[in-house]
Amino acid sequence: MNATDLAEAREKSTPPDAGSAAGQSLAGLLRPYGWSFAAVVLLQVIGAVAGLAPLLAVVELGRALLAPGPIDHGHVWTVVIAGAVGLFVRLLFTAASSGLGHVLDGQVQLTFRRQLAARLGRVPVGWFSRRRTGELAKVVGEDVSAVHPFVAHTPGELVSAFAVPLVSLIYLFTIDWRLTLITLIPVVLAVSLVPLLMLPARLREQEEFDAAMGRIASSVVEFVQGIAVVKAFGGSERAHRTFLTAADDFVSVFSRWVRGMSVVAAGMQLALSPPFVLLVVLIGGAALITSGGMAPADLLPFLLLGLGLTAPVAALGHGFDDMQAARRAVGRIKEVLEVRSLPEPEQPVAPRGHRVELRDVRFGYDDDHEVLRGIDLVLEPGTVTAIVGPSGSGKSTLVQLLPRFFDPTHGSVVLGGADLREIDSRELYRMVSFVFQDVRLLRASVADNIALAIPDADRDEVIRAARLANIHDRIVELPRGYETVIGEDVRLSGGEAQRISIARALLADAPVLVLDEATAFADPQTEQAVRRALATPGGDRSILVIAHRLETVADADTVVVLENGKIVERGRPAELLAQNGEFAAFWRSHRSAAADETETRAGVLQGDEPR
Amino acid sequence: MIRMLLRVLGHQYAQAMRRTVILMTVTAIAEGLSYALLVPVLRALLGGAPADAGPWLIAFGAAVAVYAALRYTSDLSGMRVGTTLLRGMYHRLGEHLARLPIGWYSADRVGEVSVMASRGLLQTMGVAAHLLAPFVSALVTPLTIVAVILAFNWRLGLAALAAAPVVAVIQRWTARSMAATDAERHERDKEATGRVIEFLQAQPVLRAGGRTGERFTLLDDSLQELQRASRRTVLSALPGAVGLTLTVQAIFTAVLVLGAYLALGGNIGAAEVLTILVLAARCADPLLSLSDIGGKLRGARSELARLDEVLRTGPLPEPREPIQPERHDLEFASVTFRHGDRTVIDDLSLSVPQGQRLAVVGPSGAGKSTLLQLLARFYDVDSGGVRVGGVDVRAITTETLMAQIAIVFQDVYLFDGTIEENVRLGRSDAGEAEVRAAAAAARLDEVIERLPGGWAANVGEGGALLSGGERQRVSIARALLKNAPVVLLDEVTSALDPVNEAAVHEGIERLMAGRTVVMVAHRMRTVRRADRVVFLDGGRIVEEGRHDELLRRGGRYSDFWGISMTPVAGE
Repeated sequence: MNATDLAEAREKSTPPDAGSAAGQSLAGLLRPYGWSFAAVVLLQVIGAVAGLAPLLAVVELGRALLAPGPIDHGHVWTVVIAGAVGLFVRLLFTAASSGLGHVLDGQVQLTFRRQLAARLGRVPVGWFSRRRTGELAKVVGEDVSAVHPFVAHTPGELVSAFAVPLVSLIYLFTIDWRLTLITLIPVVLAVSLVPLLMLPARLREQEEFDAAMGRIASSVVEFVQGIAVVKAFGGSERAHRTFLTAADDFVSVFSRWVRGMSVVAAGMQLALSPPFVLLVVLIGGAALITSGGMAPADLLPFLLLGLGLTAPVAALGHGFDDMQAARRAVGRIKEVLEVRSLPEPEQPVAPRGHRVELRDVRFGYDDDHEVLRGIDLVLEPGTVTAIVGPSGSGKSTLVQLLPRFFDPTHGSVVLGGADLREIDSRELYRMVSFVFQDVRLLRASVADNIALAIPDADRDEVIRAARLANIHDRIVELPRGYETVIGEDVRLSGGEAQRISIARALLADAPVLVLDEATAFADPQTEQAVRRALATPGGDRSILVIAHRLETVADADTVVVLENGKIVERGRPAELLAQNGEFAAFWRSHRSAAADETETRAGVLQGDEPR
Repeated sequence: MIRMLLRVLGHQYAQAMRRTVILMTVTAIAEGLSYALLVPVLRALLGGAPADAGPWLIAFGAAVAVYAALRYTSDLSGMRVGTTLLRGMYHRLGEHLARLPIGWYSADRVGEVSVMASRGLLQTMGVAAHLLAPFVSALVTPLTIVAVILAFNWRLGLAALAAAPVVAVIQRWTARSMAATDAERHERDKEATGRVIEFLQAQPVLRAGGRTGERFTLLDDSLQELQRASRRTVLSALPGAVGLTLTVQAIFTAVLVLGAYLALGGNIGAAEVLTILVLAARCADPLLSLSDIGGKLRGARSELARLDEVLRTGPLPEPREPIQPERHDLEFASVTFRHGDRTVIDDLSLSVPQGQRLAVVGPSGAGKSTLLQLLARFYDVDSGGVRVGGVDVRAITTETLMAQIAIVFQDVYLFDGTIEENVRLGRSDAGEAEVRAAAAAARLDEVIERLPGGWAANVGEGGALLSGGERQRVSIARALLKNAPVVLLDEVTSALDPVNEAAVHEGIERLMAGRTVVMVAHRMRTVRRADRVVFLDGGRIVEEGRHDELLRRGGRYSDFWGISMTPVAGE
C-alpha cells in the first residue's frame, strides 16, 4: 500500500546529483573501513549465490526424473545433497555478513560521533547561539543513526540484489535465450513505468511536500513551546489552528502526490508480482514446448529462477529510499564537520600581563547589521569597568568578545599585548573567566562542576570558592554533599545554578573576570555572591561588568555608557554625573526606580532591633 | 502490534484499517490459490501432453487477473486509507496535545513531542502501513500454498506444514528477546542524546575549563555505551534471524528429500513432485523475508508505542456540571501537591480576598511558582482544593477558568508573528483602540516606535528578536488587554535591566489595579506594595503578614532580605 511505497518513489525521483557530493565525503569518512566493507559484501554475495543451489537442485532433479529411461538414483541423491549444502553455505555466509556489518556499523557510528564532538568542541562558541541545540543534537544522534542502513544493510543487500539476478540471467541464457527474453518482459514493463514517476509535476509536488513538512515541524515546535501561554490565554485555538492548518496542508500535498503516484506505483507492483511473472513464463514456455522448440524440463529453471530477476527493480525502491535518507543525513553531518573552527594560532604568543585593550572593534552577526561600531576601551589591571546602556545597545556582545566567543569583524581585542587570535585558547581561558546569564551545569558532581576549569583543585579550594559564592551551605544540605550529581540526585534552581557558576569563576581565579550582573537578580543570595565576587580583593584583577545596580556603578573605577554599538560617554562615575549627559539621565531614572528599595532598607536599618 | 495500531488510530479509523487488512489477506489467499492451477498446467507441460495445458493456462490467466484486480484495489485503497489516516492522526494528536495538562510538558518532552508530531507521525503511519501488506502477504501466501500442497499430496504437505509452528515460535521468541534489548538501546540513546545536548550547551564552560582538545569523558563514555548496546542488539537479533532461516531451509530440504524419495519409489508422478517443489520454493522466499520485515515492524512498534503512550495520557478531567464562579477571591484549602515523590506543596491553606494583592516570597524551590500553576490548574492537587470565587477549579471549565485569569510569566514565549498578533492573543476581538491603549499602558508603545515595521514588526521564533524586557512588555500588554479579574505574576522583573524594570513595573502597577493579584516576587519594591506577604519554604507557609510587620518580626523573612543588606565591606 501506500504512503511509503510512494515515499520511495519520491526518493527515487530526487535528482541523482543531489546527494553525490555528500556521497563522496561519505566515502572519505568510510575509507578506513574499506576492507571490512569488502568482506561484508563478499560474504553476502557468496551466501546469496549459494542460495541458488537448492533451486538448481530442483532443476537437476527434474531433468533426472523426466529423462527417459531408468532413473540414476546416485545422481538424484548427489543433487539433493548439493542443494542442502548450498542452503547451509548461504545461511553461514549471510549470517556472518550481517553480523560483521552490524558490528562495523557500531564502530562507524562511534567514529562519526566522536568526530562531530571533536569538531563541535572547536567551532566558535558564538556559532552555537545561531543554531538550535536540538538540531545539532539531532545531527550527532539521529543523523548518525540514519547512516546505519547504509553501512549495515545496503551494500550487501544491494550487491546481492544485482549479483544473484545476473548469475541467474547468464544461466538462463545458456538454457534458452528466447524464454529468457520473455521472462524479462515484466521487468521491462516495470522499468518503462519509472519515467512516469519523474515527470516535472511529480518533482514539483516533492518540493511542496518538503516545504509542507517543514511548516508542520515549525508549527509544532511553536505549539509545544508556547503551550503555557497558549493555555493561559485560551489562545490554544491560534497555535492549534496553525498546527492543524499546517497538517491539513501537508496531507493535501501528500495526497495529491499520492494520487499522482499511486496508479503508476500499483502498476509497477503488479508487473513485478510473482503470479504475473509466472503467467508470462508459462505462456511463453507452453508456446515453446508445444512448438517443440524446447525440452519440457528446461521450463523448470525459468519457473524457479525467473522470479528472482525482478529483485533489482524492487531493490531499487527499498535500497534507494534508505540510501537517500542516509545521504541527506550525511550531508548534514558533513555540514557540521566542515564548519570552520576558530583558527588556532600557529605560533601562539604568550600575553604579558593582562591589560585588555579593544581597538576600534566592530562586530555584526550579519553582514548588514553592525552591533558594535568602533569600540575603543582599555581595562587596566586592578580596575572595575562597568558597562551601562539600554537593552540592545550591544553590551552582551561586547563582553562576549573577551572570552573569544566571536572574533571581531574589524579591529582587535588585545590581552597583555597579544591579539586574542594569537593566544593559545587554553592560555586565554586561564586568563579570562566569565559568568554570564545563561548558566549550564553538567550532569556531574557539584565538586566537578565547580572545579571545571581547574580539574586538579583540591576540596578545600572548592569549598572556599563555594563559600564565597554563598552556596556552600546549600551544598552541604544536598543528599551527598559535594558528591551530589546535579540533574540526577538533585535539581538546582536558577539562582543556585548561578551561584555554582560564580563559584566556578572564583575558583578559576583568572586575572580577567567578565560578568553580567543580571545574573544577580535570581535571588538576594545570588546578588550577594556577585557583589562579593566583585569586591574580592583581587589585587590587580581586571573586571568588566554589565552593571544593573547603582551600587556597582558607583563603585566602578570607570563607567562606559554604550548606546547603539558605540561608547557615548566614559569616565569616573562622579565626573560623568557632573557632566549631566546620558549617564546622569540614566542615573536619575535608576534612582527613582531604586528609591523605594533604599527607603525600605533605611526603614529597616532604623528599626529597633540592632542588626 | 496491530491491536496497538488500531488503538492509536482510534475507533473512527480502525474500521477502515481493518477493511484494508482484510483486503490484503484476501489478496494473499488469492495469490496462494492461483498457484494451485500450476499443478495441472505443469502436469500437462512436463508430462508430455503440452496441448492439454491450454485450458488450464487460460484458467491460471483468469486467476491471475482476479489476483491483479484484488491487488490493485488493495494497493489503491491502502494509499487512500493511508492519507485519510494521516490527516486523522494529525488532528487527533494535535487536539490531544492541546488538552494535556501543562505539567506534562517538561523540558525534555518538548523535543520528543516536536519530532513525534511532525516527521515521527508520518514515519510511524507510513512504516506501519507500508510494512503491513508485505507482512500479511509473507504470512498468508505461504500458508495457502501449504494448504494447496496438502490437497495434492498429504505427505509432502504435512512436511511443509511442520514449518508453521516452528516459525511461529521463533517469531514470538525473537520478538520477546528483541524487545528487551531495544528498550535498553533506547535508554542508551536517550542518555547519549542528553550528553550531546549538555556538551553543546556547556561549550563556553567546557572551553573555559580547557576541555576543548581532549575528549569530553562524560560524552565519550555514553557514546561508547551506545555502541556496546547496539552490538548487544545485533547479537540478540542474530539467533532469531538464523533460527528462522535454518528452519525454513531445513523444511525445504526435507520436502526436497522426501519428494526425491517418493519419486524414486514411484509413489508420485515426476510432474507432480516437481510442481510441488516449485510451490515449496515459492513458500520459502516470503518466509525468509519475515525476519527482515519483523525487524522493521519492531522499529515501527517502538515509535507507535511512544505515540500510544502520549495518546493514553489523560488530560485533566473537565467537570460534568460546570459551575460559573461569581466572585474573584482565591483560596487554597489544605492543599497538598506532589511532583513525582517530592512534596512540593505541603498541606497549605491560604486565602486572598477579592481585589487584594498577595506576594509570595521564599527561597528557590519553595514551591512559589507551583502555587500560581495550581491556581491556573496547570496541575491538579493531590489533596485539598484550590478555589476561585469559592468554586473548586476542577468544577470550572478550563475555558471559564482561563477567562478569569491573566498570567505574566518570568519567561515570556511569543509566537512567531507580529507584535500586534501577540498582543491580540489576550483578546482576539479587541478593538483597535483597546489594543493601542493596552500597549501604551504597558509602555510597549515606545518599543514599537523604535522597531522597524512598528506594530507589524515580526518578533521571531519564541520572540527571539526582542530583548527580555521588550518581551515582558508584550506579555503585560497582552494581560492588560485580556482584562481578567485575577492576575498572576511570576517573578516578572527577575532578569531585567533597570530601564526595562522601571517600565515593566509601571505596566504591572496598571495591570494590578483593582484586581485580585498573586505575585511571586523577590524584589522588595514589588513586595512592599502587597496587602499581604507569605514567606514560603518547603511547600509550607513559614511566616505571613504585612511587609513591615514581617521585617520587624526579625524572622526568616527579614533574614531573607537581610542578606542583601549586609554591607559587603563587612566580609
